[in-house]
Amino acid sequence: MKRIKRFFRYDNVGILYILPALIYMMVFVGYPIISNFILSFQDVTIKTLNLPVKQFIGFENYIKVFQDPILQKSIFNTLLFTVLSLIFQFIFGFLLALFFYKKFSFSKPVRGLLMIPWMIPVTITALMFKFMFSSNVGIINQALQGLHLISAPIDWLITPNSAMFALIFTNIWIGIPFNMILLSSGLTLISSDIYESASIDGANKFQTMMKITLPLLKPTIQSVLILGFIYTFKVFDLVYVMTNGGPVNSTHLLSTYSYKLSFTLFEYSKGATVANILFVILFFVSLIYLKYTYSEEGEK
Amino acid sequence: MNDRTVRGKKNIIMSIMSVIVLIVLLFPIYWILVTSFKMEKEIFLNPPTLFPTKLNFKSYIAQLNVGDFNMFRSFANSMFISTSCMFISIILAVPASYALARYRFVGKKVTVLAFLITQMLPVSVILTPMFIMFRNFHMINNPLSAILADATIGIPFSILILKNYFGSIPKELEEASYIDGCNRFTSFIKILIPIAFPGVIVCGIFSFLYAWGDLAYGMTFIQDQVNRPITAGIFNFMGQYGTKWSYLTAFAVVTIIPVAIIFIFMQKYIISGLTSGAVKG
Repeated sequence: MKRIKRFFRYDNVGILYILPALIYMMVFVGYPIISNFILSFQDVTIKTLNLPVKQFIGFENYIKVFQDPILQKSIFNTLLFTVLSLIFQFIFGFLLALFFYKKFSFSKPVRGLLMIPWMIPVTITALMFKFMFSSNVGIINQALQGLHLISAPIDWLITPNSAMFALIFTNIWIGIPFNMILLSSGLTLISSDIYESASIDGANKFQTMMKITLPLLKPTIQSVLILGFIYTFKVFDLVYVMTNGGPVNSTHLLSTYSYKLSFTLFEYSKGATVANILFVILFFVSLIYLKYTYSEEGEK
Repeated sequence: MNDRTVRGKKNIIMSIMSVIVLIVLLFPIYWILVTSFKMEKEIFLNPPTLFPTKLNFKSYIAQLNVGDFNMFRSFANSMFISTSCMFISIILAVPASYALARYRFVGKKVTVLAFLITQMLPVSVILTPMFIMFRNFHMINNPLSAILADATIGIPFSILILKNYFGSIPKELEEASYIDGCNRFTSFIKILIPIAFPGVIVCGIFSFLYAWGDLAYGMTFIQDQVNRPITAGIFNFMGQYGTKWSYLTAFAVVTIIPVAIIFIFMQKYIISGLTSGAVKG
């Protein structure tokens, strides 16, 4: 008892403040992660869910899942979706950040309003773009036909490749504000003295960009890209609402395929296996991100 | 700083350009707004009308009658879930973040790391086991299941944001309060929380918005249409009446309203939350 008292006398009393949050997260995040891991080595389906003892089947789920052509397609889709979204979100976000770096009359209010796409619930965004991409009433087809770029309406969401395009297009729209605002705040951290001395030394705009802005922005760019990767790689709602993995399983991401296995086909263990693959990938990327941010904090 | 300020002609040109960018990027939102006020027939016109020929409120009024999807009921469900989730996040995050900012204790670094990692977790990884867990506790269809799950997003975010707020308060303020007779705990309650209050608002907003936008937890754990949050309700409706765009766009507009209100009144908090949360980790 005395020992316990002494332990909590000074700074260790902090543990008591943090305990409620920690217990909460252990019960509702920690336990499910472990339980998901175990589940992926068992054989749990709707039939065996109520059995008191679940059968362990080793790596069988992983072997089956990796042989599954839909999973292979999902991995490919997830990578394609993430990489293309990241590239274009970043380019547009960066251009807008540079544009709004200048202080003109509307710069602040307009930049603020551009945050809206990021705040809207993704379900609603997906509904919005599903409407705009729809074959018969979609404004995208109507506009393309009006401009005589296409003669017949395109079945955007009913054809595999164009459905994937529509998903990536929508996700870029969601991600631009996020990239813009983080890069904006990164830009304002660069001291204007450096720009002044560069212009005294006769550097042109291109040289200033390559030699000053980009190198000094590197930490921000790194964290924007890695965070963007993490957030994009786990996208679920957008695809689930817009295509639900269709047509014929051609646009599944790892997240939506895992959901389908668990909650449409009731193959809980297989769903858990796919989710676990997603988890392991993201876990390592998160560690890379943390390594970067922590090594920077150490330098301060 | 002054060389960034643009004046004269260039100012006008850049302002006009920014408005064009705004119109292009926000067009989808404008488009669902006007569509929700159109008659079903007008939606099918090609070329489309950029503004409803006659304002039609039917898509909204029709929701007042109880159908198989009652928009206002779902809206209330979402409000209840999101508000509860907001309070859980704040109540748990405020003391936890204070401890992380002010105390050095065993295992502190690991705890911070753990919170950082949970922020990056995919929903999928906890969805199946949580479903089984809630099922075993007979909590499926109980809004509490969605609340408890949604808060797992808000809590780590809030802790990391508030940690920075508490960390930035000068220690002298606390020390001064000790002279005035406060101990560490009363000083936390009376001095530090009021100063860090803007941070608490940021956390509240984000926890609310995360829960408001959630689809996966709400639709998986709550299967009765009457108890579902609005996002899950809309998704269901889309499955049944996929082309009833006048109703669907009206649902979308109603779902955006709280977000728009929060945005209008709390814009500076949102931007500070987003940047400090993501850049500083």
